[in-house]
Amino acid sequence: MHIQSNFTDCRSLCNLTTFTNTKWTYQETNMNLERLPNDEKLSLCRKYYLGGFAFLPFLWLVNVVWFFKEAFFKPAYTEQLQIKTYVKRSGLGLLLWVAVLTTWITIFQHFRAEWGEVGDYLSFTIPLGIP
Amino acid sequence: MGLESSKWIIMFLVCWLYKNVNSSSVAQKIYVEVNDTVPCVRLLNATHQIGCQSSISGDTGVIHVLESEDDLEWPLSKGPNPPYVVLLELSLFTRSIMMKMKESSSRVAGVTVVVPNANPAEFSPHTTCPNDNTGVYSDTYGPDYAHCNQTVWNPLGNGLSYEDFDFPVFSLKEDNGTEVIKQCYFDHNRVVNGSAPQYPLCAMQLFSHMHAVTDTATCMRRNEVGTFSLNPEMVCDALGDFNVWASIRPYNSSDLGHKDNESVVIAAARLDSRAFFWDVSTGAEGSISGFVTLLAAAQALRQVTEEAPPTHNILFAFFQGEAFDYIGSSRMVYDMENGKFVINLDNVHSILEVGQVALRNGTDLYLHSDPVSRMNNSINDKVKRLVINLQSSTKGVNFSLVEPRFSQPLPPSSLQRFLRAQRIPGIVLADHETSFNNKRYESYYDNANNLNLTYPSNLTTEEQLVFVTDTAKALAEVATVVARALYKQAGGNESQVDNITADPKTVTQMLYGFLVQTNNSWFQARVSPELKNQLKSSPPEFYVGVASSSKPKTLTHLVQYLLANLTGAATNLSQSQCQKPDELPGESKQMYSYLWVQGMIPPNSTEAESFCVRASVQLSPAMSPAFDLGEYNSKIYSTWTESRWKFIKARIFLVASRDLEMLTLGVGVAVLFTSLLMTYFISTKADVLFSSAREPASAAY
Repeated sequence: MHIQSNFTDCRSLCNLTTFTNTKWTYQETNMNLERLPNDEKLSLCRKYYLGGFAFLPFLWLVNVVWFFKEAFFKPAYTEQLQIKTYVKRSGLGLLLWVAVLTTWITIFQHFRAEWGEVGDYLSFTIPLGIP
Repeated sequence: MGLESSKWIIMFLVCWLYKNVNSSSVAQKIYVEVNDTVPCVRLLNATHQIGCQSSISGDTGVIHVLESEDDLEWPLSKGPNPPYVVLLELSLFTRSIMMKMKESSSRVAGVTVVVPNANPAEFSPHTTCPNDNTGVYSDTYGPDYAHCNQTVWNPLGNGLSYEDFDFPVFSLKEDNGTEVIKQCYFDHNRVVNGSAPQYPLCAMQLFSHMHAVTDTATCMRRNEVGTFSLNPEMVCDALGDFNVWASIRPYNSSDLGHKDNESVVIAAARLDSRAFFWDVSTGAEGSISGFVTLLAAAQALRQVTEEAPPTHNILFAFFQGEAFDYIGSSRMVYDMENGKFVINLDNVHSILEVGQVALRNGTDLYLHSDPVSRMNNSINDKVKRLVINLQSSTKGVNFSLVEPRFSQPLPPSSLQRFLRAQRIPGIVLADHETSFNNKRYESYYDNANNLNLTYPSNLTTEEQLVFVTDTAKALAEVATVVARALYKQAGGNESQVDNITADPKTVTQMLYGFLVQTNNSWFQARVSPELKNQLKSSPPEFYVGVASSSKPKTLTHLVQYLLANLTGAATNLSQSQCQKPDELPGESKQMYSYLWVQGMIPPNSTEAESFCVRASVQLSPAMSPAFDLGEYNSKIYSTWTESRWKFIKARIFLVASRDLEMLTLGVGVAVLFTSLLMTYFISTKADVLFSSAREPASAAY
């Protein structure tokens, strides 16, 4: 029962990849990371890592969450070292994004009213009834 | 199949119950809606926001009925249950009280003003110096006269209409509704010997959340930016409407700009007024006295100008939005300057404006003129000429026209906008020598009572309509003088002057229509069938409101139709011809407007005899040029906008103490978690708990 729920979680994440490669769709929607051969794990992890550079920090988040166990808790195997590097780098990139976004959002929310015109043009939705 | 169909039956049954059975919802049991409230809304200009607003989910406070100014201590400092909604009588709706509440607005959730039906002795929420910054007087033009240095026009003004309150302020008619609230207050909230009342307390919730904020530039920008948003939402609209004008010799409406050898005497009056609360102004003295007089004068001039046309043309102009920095007049001047009006400023011979004229103090009316432009000799001579024309027209009336005894600027008037553009000789006719005689300027109480308009109690509506009141007689005399003076000023034949008399009966019917109820037989006969549906058993709204490019306000429409009836001619065109008169010889839509009016119902008939009126009456936009130019921070033109809002309502209900509310919430959360926990344990131990139950079930097979 426990395993079952893990499986469904993973599936929803794996669905993200359907955009990139249709061949994967079949495999991954039915797959469990546990059952995947190690070399495919590595290639998957790399793809997520590289994909993150296209201003997609959520791919890095997925990568970190998904491969964290694989990278740090599984008994050692050949590809693990590289997976570890990718997960670490994804995590680093993710942190950078979080830091940058948090800073920007804080500044923007704080100064939007003060900026006046610029603040309004930068806004997508302008709150009603407040400066 | 049987199961399926019974399912459907149950579903229909549920739907039918849902639709047809009136359940009293929980909300209905908790809340009592307060009806007939009028809010104070937010207006914005180039630099400020004024008015009131609530938070988006409404502001709730414990009701406190204020009994005196000292009593403010309870809601503002001593009371243990802030915030409070302060309910006060109009007599306590003063600047000092309101400003105290504004300063400690964290303890004030809102204010409700109970409006009595009787007029207070004096009340003006307007400023002491109306339209101060957009008149003619400034540091460059008569600096000694600027900012009401010489004469404070509205000394009673407390300026509340121009304050910004960050809590909602509602007005409430004194009737059963207020009794319910007061009863609720006395039952639950009454402070006895300074000890705090016990929960539950009677509370009020006011909703008047305004979308616009800061100033006009901000809200207009957000109107534009908002269109790219996922849910485009307008936040404010410019104030404005239409001016009404007519001339005794028609102009071709497609021939704009300067006209050679054309000289026009403009007779002006304003249409609108305002009040602290949104749309409840009446402006009896502030605007009606002036424009009704001018309408009557226009009628008085009809016959004589047909028989013996004066050398100059006469243009009657009725300006809208003057209360908000002269929207109507500034627009007409702007159009004249830019060749968008049938004449330009060089064609203007002189201007006679009829101001507040119904509250005469003694036997004098005053002729105000601009001392700055009169320093120029030629202008001075022309103003003197106009004064003489006016003074020599008072034969047979029981008042005289005099100039103020000392040098003072023009009172707030449309003429100031003309003078800003060009030095044009002009006079403002008014009943006050210095400050206004009107003690209720720009307030809800500038109404029929303010003009002492009373009817004998035994009259029916129809009899009241034709009963000539003293006010009407007095205004008809003023109209006579105005009409004669205009005729002389336009170079009319002196021998004809004595034939010009305004009709007191017309004046009294107009006063009845504008001050008592628009839905009367005299108005009905003079308006279009569509406009007839807008007539109601109350005066029209005199607040200019937000501009619509196609549909004039009821007031503007009424004045347009009345002016057409009073100055135009009845034709025998059919309704379809009335719409397309250009197809007929001798008729031109460019020269005249053709209005299909209801007409009188002849005796022994139920069907009104409708007909087509041909008149030189036109509407011209009364929209501040600032909005056409996109100069939302203009210091020259009116920049007033009104915020939008979703809904406005007020309701009362009983609130429990904070502790009790928190306890209820806490217990609810605790129950939720306990049940979650129990479910979890039951589900994990299901095989143990239900094992014995399963066996007999399988044994049954």
